[in-house]
Amino acid sequence: MNQPADEKNWVGKALPRKEENRLLRGRGRFSDDVKLRDMLYLRFVRSPYAHARIVSVDISAAEALPGVVCALTGAEVVAQTQPFIEIGPDPFAKIKDYPLAVSKVRYQGEPVAAVVAQSAALADDAAELVQIEYDALDPVIDAEDALLNKSVLHDEAGTNQVWNGVFEYGEVEKAFKEAAHIVSIDRMHFHRFSSTPLENNVVIGCWDPKDERIYYECNNSFPSFAIQFLAAHLQVHIDRIRVETSDIGGSFGIKITSYPQMAICALASKKAGGRPVKWVETRSEHITSSAHGNERTFRDTRIALDKNGVITAITSRHIDDCGAYPRYEPLGCVIWSQVFAGVYRFKNARIDFSQAVTNKCPVGPNRGYSRMQHLWFLERVVDICAHELGIPPDEMRLRNYIRPEEFPYTTPNGCVYDSGNYPKMLQLAKQRIGWDEWKKKQAAARKEGRLVGIGIGTTLDSGTNNFGQSQIVNPGLPYSGNSQGANCKLDIYGEVVVAVGSCPQGQGHETTAAQVVADVLNIHPDLVTVRTGFDTERNVHTGFSGTYASQFAVSGLSAVHGAAQKLKAEMKRLGAFVLQTKENDIEFGTGAQGPELRAKSTSKSINYWGLANLVNANSAALPEELYEVTLNCRYIWRAPFKVPDKQRKYGNLTLTYASQLHIAVVEVERDTFIPRILDYVAVDDCGTVINPPIVEGQVYGATAHGIGAALMENCVYDAVGNMLTSTFSDYTPITAMNMPKVKYDHIETPSPHSYSGAKGMGEGGAAPVHTISAALQDALFAEGVFIDDSFNNADSLFRALVAKEISQVGKLVKVEKR
Amino acid sequence: MYPRAFHYHRAGSLQEAVTMLSQLGDDAKLLAGGQSLIPLMKLRFANPAHLVDLNFVSGTSYIKEENGSLLFGPLTRHAEIENSALAAKIPILHDCAAGIADVQVRNRGTIGGSLAEADPSGDWAVVLMTLSTDVRCLGRNGQRTVALNSFIKDAYTTELAHDELVSEVTVKMPPKGSGGAYLAFKRAAPVYPTASAAVQLTMEGDTCKDAAIALGCVGLTAIKATDAEAALRGKAVTEKSVAAAVEAARTVADPQPDMRGSADYKRTLVGALVKRAIAAAVRRARGEQVEVNHLYA
Ligand SMILES: Cc1cc2nc3c(=O)[nH]c(=O)nc-3n(C[C@H](O)[C@H](O)[C@H](O)COP(=O)(O)OP(=O)(O)OC[C@H]3O[C@@H](n4cnc5c(N)ncnc54)[C@H](O)[C@@H]3O)c2cc1C
Repeated sequence: MNQPADEKNWVGKALPRKEENRLLRGRGRFSDDVKLRDMLYLRFVRSPYAHARIVSVDISAAEALPGVVCALTGAEVVAQTQPFIEIGPDPFAKIKDYPLAVSKVRYQGEPVAAVVAQSAALADDAAELVQIEYDALDPVIDAEDALLNKSVLHDEAGTNQVWNGVFEYGEVEKAFKEAAHIVSIDRMHFHRFSSTPLENNVVIGCWDPKDERIYYECNNSFPSFAIQFLAAHLQVHIDRIRVETSDIGGSFGIKITSYPQMAICALASKKAGGRPVKWVETRSEHITSSAHGNERTFRDTRIALDKNGVITAITSRHIDDCGAYPRYEPLGCVIWSQVFAGVYRFKNARIDFSQAVTNKCPVGPNRGYSRMQHLWFLERVVDICAHELGIPPDEMRLRNYIRPEEFPYTTPNGCVYDSGNYPKMLQLAKQRIGWDEWKKKQAAARKEGRLVGIGIGTTLDSGTNNFGQSQIVNPGLPYSGNSQGANCKLDIYGEVVVAVGSCPQGQGHETTAAQVVADVLNIHPDLVTVRTGFDTERNVHTGFSGTYASQFAVSGLSAVHGAAQKLKAEMKRLGAFVLQTKENDIEFGTGAQGPELRAKSTSKSINYWGLANLVNANSAALPEELYEVTLNCRYIWRAPFKVPDKQRKYGNLTLTYASQLHIAVVEVERDTFIPRILDYVAVDDCGTVINPPIVEGQVYGATAHGIGAALMENCVYDAVGNMLTSTFSDYTPITAMNMPKVKYDHIETPSPHSYSGAKGMGEGGAAPVHTISAALQDALFAEGVFIDDSFNNADSLFRALVAKEISQVGKLVKVEKR
Repeated sequence: MYPRAFHYHRAGSLQEAVTMLSQLGDDAKLLAGGQSLIPLMKLRFANPAHLVDLNFVSGTSYIKEENGSLLFGPLTRHAEIENSALAAKIPILHDCAAGIADVQVRNRGTIGGSLAEADPSGDWAVVLMTLSTDVRCLGRNGQRTVALNSFIKDAYTTELAHDELVSEVTVKMPPKGSGGAYLAFKRAAPVYPTASAAVQLTMEGDTCKDAAIALGCVGLTAIKATDAEAALRGKAVTEKSVAAAVEAARTVADPQPDMRGSADYKRTLVGALVKRAIAAAVRRARGEQVEVNHLYA
């Protein structure tokens, strides 16, 4: 503990993570570790059908099984609750989303009933005894088919179209008229996948009948959003819902949408007389029915280019598939427009964006949420244009990138990119991978008939949302801006304790928050205790608190910084009184008796215990004018946003724009069609780095997720809506065995929009998905293959190359040279 | 995911296990490594009323060399075989053991359980089919020896009677000048292969004196590719004879489309694996040290 005093600038240091001691020794506490007295176990009974009418639900045999306490059906839920809030406008605002299916099931795996028993094994037994009769309906699997409304999922809406809007900026027609080249692409498709947290969803719910309080221990990753949905649904005051989270084994946004299961645990607890009810999701449940990432289809894309290959305009029609219930959607219908222009300079574009429900698992905001689909689209556009026009892909990018001197750059839709330097990242990535060498090796390999490609992916990770963009999808919504809360105090014995409204899942918040406070108070980070993990009763949350959307470095640490500064100001005031000097003459440091305040140029000092004691336990010694000093400082940070122009769909939607530039060298083996990554580099720019190893860890993790998504992970449904990838044998998440060696590097373009220059990061923009598609495109263009899907594996490459059933340039891409 | 309730019995000897099976009847199952059985029970696809645990029977996990054969105890774990210098005398055995699933599965899963399960995608049957392998079976009436080729009858179906168990697996040492290799393509470590090929060649100079070729995951059981063997046997291993063997292997393969790939793709893949395995087998037959690793996505 006794570190040398006055060490400066902990922010930026490779400080080992404070939480490592706990997590790496298996001493973490996860929700499933928590066992409460008289706890019961819940199991869902799920639909085997993708789309069916529920004829009857009979829980009597299940309830009769010894050890079973109760069972719950949709009808009982309807009688006690209001349907969940819908974020979207009419007609989808009218749909009735309950946590158990009521008259219809809309995806395979949808919960229809719940059983509660004294043990998890008994609950499994009871679930088998629930009798449900179904009457199958026509399933809708493809989003484009869904828009034809031949079979409608939600009768109350009368349509499968959740949302539609046209995003148009600049002078599109003029640009096409003046274009030197026009490239048209019939169809492209971004596939469904999920980021597969190691820990599945877990909820313990307890609805105490005595004081009408609901207690949750769970691993939801956006609890302040969940309680807003739950309070309205369960008809209780929001203050009556307490949510605590513990260590969380990954979320990647997937755990944001666990509020339906949270509702059921509370209702089940109530029915069981207030006994706590625990639900631990199985892996197959997680894969089939927690949340998937958004699937998107891009139709009728047209690109106008000038004679140098500079893109001047894009028009396209995008259809997003949100699965059976919108839940967090249709926010994804606007979130993508945070990166409307990607890293490119084009000014004219029209995107007709719609979203449809289908009989598949509902989507959730999966890592890279809604932006990665659009970034992939743009990267495919840039690449195919480069190949068609014979411009090298690196050159093509340099001609189209936003230039370093243009920052802060305002995009056609009013977003302000804070900082960045894409050409510099490209240069660094090329240097790190040995671009020129690989070009030579590639030429030699091609002579031997080998299929080697080099691909570039440039990606944005926009962080700290302006929730005002929700008003673009529904003008009636009461959300805008962004905020986060933190509290910093000296406890009774003078300990520095920080609480933040975040619920980290491996992002190292305990460490980075301590670094920030240590710098403010000029003490060692070991002297700062950080309370992370959400707890509504810590009272540090706002309506946006949680851990999601690449923002802690900005929103979380700005809140921590604000609270620490508030505390410092109070300590100064108090110190000046005790040490009989001016506030400006107070110095902060660490002395023989721990952290202390000193009067400049004197030997007078008071340590933190002395200060805290004066306020908390020796208050008769405190003069009245200092009564307002509490040494317990709450600070709410707010992002400087305005409400966007809803009509024009124009405004700044995000505060910071981190960027990633990846290069992959990929070979498709001629005999096995296995795509092999021969080399890989990831260059990152998230502004000022607060803790280098934490950032590097996020980059590796996001890279693994992206490579998995590009080559291995695909949520597949058959024509009637059976999910074919419901176990790890079929949904094969990436493991270390499949990881290439990744070369990592970074540049720093500090953000002018955050106090430290840091940008939010962590989602990584799914950079490898674009990068690997680009490398495959480079490898296979000469073979007449167009990489039209974000998922490519040995089998699909075989079908494109040999069977020529799919992904043929000749069929999908047209070029008009004027 | 919890299995249905079941009775647990701990056998003290293999003979006692046999007695338990015959007394408990059809609803009883043996538990070896549990790496096939327990997942099925957790999914409630298998719901035995009784489990007879073999794990506490001593002397059932061993690798010995006797009379020109390697002998494996029924509970010998994949990991023991992977790490055994004795087993490495037949390199194709090491290729197989080291490539099954991941470390956790290899630490538990057994060679006896694997053959008894007769999973169409299991690795052991494919490899052992290219060697001279006998399965010793213990029943109420004592031991009998069944050649591997007749032991596995169909997908998930073996020659074993209900109250009979695998008590030993014996593999004849290949002759001098013989070399083999086993190669699979796996989408991820803890997943059965998309397709696999085992090749054991006995060479005399450039001529292939004898060939054994088996294919995995492209039929209801491992497939002995006899036409492919004939394409090499007695011939020089040249581009042409190899191509003929590959073609014969592709022809005999009978893959089903599933999440691992389309039928056409699997057929193409298995051909490529046979070709690569032949190349490695030839080098090993010549006495070269060749490391063979499965292909991963
Ligand atoms: C994630 C995962 C991935 C896997 N991947 C692969 C793979 O790639 N390749 C592969 O080959 N295998 C794979 N396996 C299976 C693994 O090799 C199993 O260990 C093996 O198939 C069964 O052996 P076991 O000892 O675990 O048998 P158990 O699961 O205990 O038993 C399997 C069956 O055999 C019976 N049985 C067991 N021992 C005997 C005996 N001595 N005599 C008669 N009957 C017996 C049991 O009653 C049961 O019906 C995988 C398993 C898992 C969990």
